Amino acid sequence: MNWAHKLLLIDRRIIFVVVFVGALIPIIWPIGLAVQISPPVKAVFDRVEAMKPGDAIMLSFDYGPSDGPELDPMANSILRHCAKKGIKVIGVSLFPLGGVEMAIARFMQLDTDLKARNGIDYVNLGYKDGAPAPMKAMGDRIESVFPCDANGVPYSEIPVLEGIRSYDDLELAISLATSIIGEWWINLVNAQFGIDVALGTTAVSAPKYYAFMEAKQAIGVLGGMKGGSEYEELVARAYPDLKGLSRSATMGMDVQSVVHLVIIFFILFGNVMFIVTKRMTRGAN
Amino acid sequence: MKRQVPIMLAITASFLPVIAFFFPNAWINEWFNRKLDEWMVIIASFAFLLGIVSMVQVNLHKVRRRQKGWIFSVIILVSFAIMASCGLFGAQGERENGTLYPFTWIFQFIYAPMQATMFSLLAFYVASASYRAFRVKNMEASLLLIGALIIMFGRIPFGALIHPVVPDLAEWIMRFPNAAAQRGIIIGAALGAASMSIRVMVGIERPYLGKS
Repeated sequence: MNWAHKLLLIDRRIIFVVVFVGALIPIIWPIGLAVQISPPVKAVFDRVEAMKPGDAIMLSFDYGPSDGPELDPMANSILRHCAKKGIKVIGVSLFPLGGVEMAIARFMQLDTDLKARNGIDYVNLGYKDGAPAPMKAMGDRIESVFPCDANGVPYSEIPVLEGIRSYDDLELAISLATSIIGEWWINLVNAQFGIDVALGTTAVSAPKYYAFMEAKQAIGVLGGMKGGSEYEELVARAYPDLKGLSRSATMGMDVQSVVHLVIIFFILFGNVMFIVTKRMTRGAN
Repeated sequence: MKRQVPIMLAITASFLPVIAFFFPNAWINEWFNRKLDEWMVIIASFAFLLGIVSMVQVNLHKVRRRQKGWIFSVIILVSFAIMASCGLFGAQGERENGTLYPFTWIFQFIYAPMQATMFSLLAFYVASASYRAFRVKNMEASLLLIGALIIMFGRIPFGALIHPVVPDLAEWIMRFPNAAAQRGIIIGAALGAASMSIRVMVGIERPYLGKS
C-alpha cells in the first residue's frame, strides 16, 4: 500500500474533526460575507412588497424541528416583512411532526420583535391532519377546516379573519415545507384555485421546486439557508429599522460557506489521491 | 363479505370525486367532494391512533421480553406518556406571565435541539462520503463533479469572490438543466401514481385488505 492509497483510506474521524473545526471557527469569529440576491427569492419579496396594507396571506408551517435551522429564518423574515407592511398573516400547519409548535415559536418571536397582536395582525389556526383534504376544503371555506384558532377562539370572533372566507380572499399562500407538502400546495392549491403560491424549502428540496417555478406554478422559491439569508437581506435593505433584529440565516451562511469549502477540498483532494494511486499502480505493474 | 364490502367502499369512494369533477352541480359537489374531504380529515386522524397503539404494543412487548435495547423502549414509552399528558391535560404556547406551557417547553428545549442535532450530523457524513465516493471515473462522473462544484461555490458568498459569474452560472444550472431533469422525474412519478390510483380504483390493487 503506497502513501497515496493510505491517504485515500484516511480515518473518517479525522474528516469529522476538520468539519467540526470548520463549522466552529465562523461561529466564534463571524466572517460577515456579503449576501448575493437570487431571482427566485427576489420574486417572492417583490410579490409581498407589492401588496397593500390590509391584504392577507396564508403562511403554512409544513416543517418540523429538524428543518428549523433552515426554515425558521425564512418564517421570521416573512413575518417581519408582513408586519411592517400591515399585511394580515393567517398561519396554518399541515405537517404532523411539530409544525404547529414551529408556528407557535415563530409567532412568539414576532410578538417579541415587533409587538404584533395575535388575532389582530395575525392568527395561528393550528394543525389539521390529512394535508391534501384540508388544502382542497380551504378553497371552499377555511372555517370548515379550522373552526377555531390554536387557542380555541372561534373563527367568527377573530378580527383578522373578518372578510376572509377562502383562498379567493387571499393574495398569496407561502408554504415553508419539507417532504411532499410543498408540491401539494402547487398541484392542489395553485392549479385548482389559482392563488399565487411561493415556497420556502430546505436546500435539499429546492432543486425540485425550480421545475414548478419555471412552469409559473410557483412565483418563487427560497432555498435553504441561502434563501433565508437573501430574504433577511432584502427586508433589512427595505426596512433599515429592522437591521438590529437577529438574522440567523445570514450568520449561518458563514458556517455553511466554510463547511462547503471543506467538502470541496475533500472532494478535490480525494480525486487527486485517486488519480495518483491509479498512476502509481499502473507504473508498478 | 369481509372482502366485498371494503372493495365496494374503496371503488365508490374513489369514483365519487371523479364524477363530481365532471358534473359541476352544487349538490354533487357538496356530497361527492366536500363531504368526502371532511371525512378524509377525520379518517386521517385515526391513523395517528393506529400508530400510537402499534408503537405502544411493539415497545411493551420488547420491555416484557427484555429484548436487546429494551431500555430504549422504556425511554420511548416514558417520553410518550409525558408528552401525551402535557398535550392532553395542558395548553400549548405561552402563559400570560410569559412562561411556556410544559408541552411547548419540552418541545422547544428538548425535542427541537435533538432533532436539529440529528439533521446536522448529515454534514459530517456528507463530507466523509464525498471524500470516499465522489470519483472522476468516467465522463458522466466528471460532468457531475463539475456541476456539483459550480453549485457548491455558487450557493455560498465565496463563489462571487472567485468570479462574479459563478452565482449566475449556478442559478442557470438550477433553472435549466436541473429543472429539465426534475420535470422528467416529476412526470414519471405522476404517471406512476396515476396508474397505481387507477389500479386501486378498479379494485386490481387492494392494499387496504392487507395483501394485493
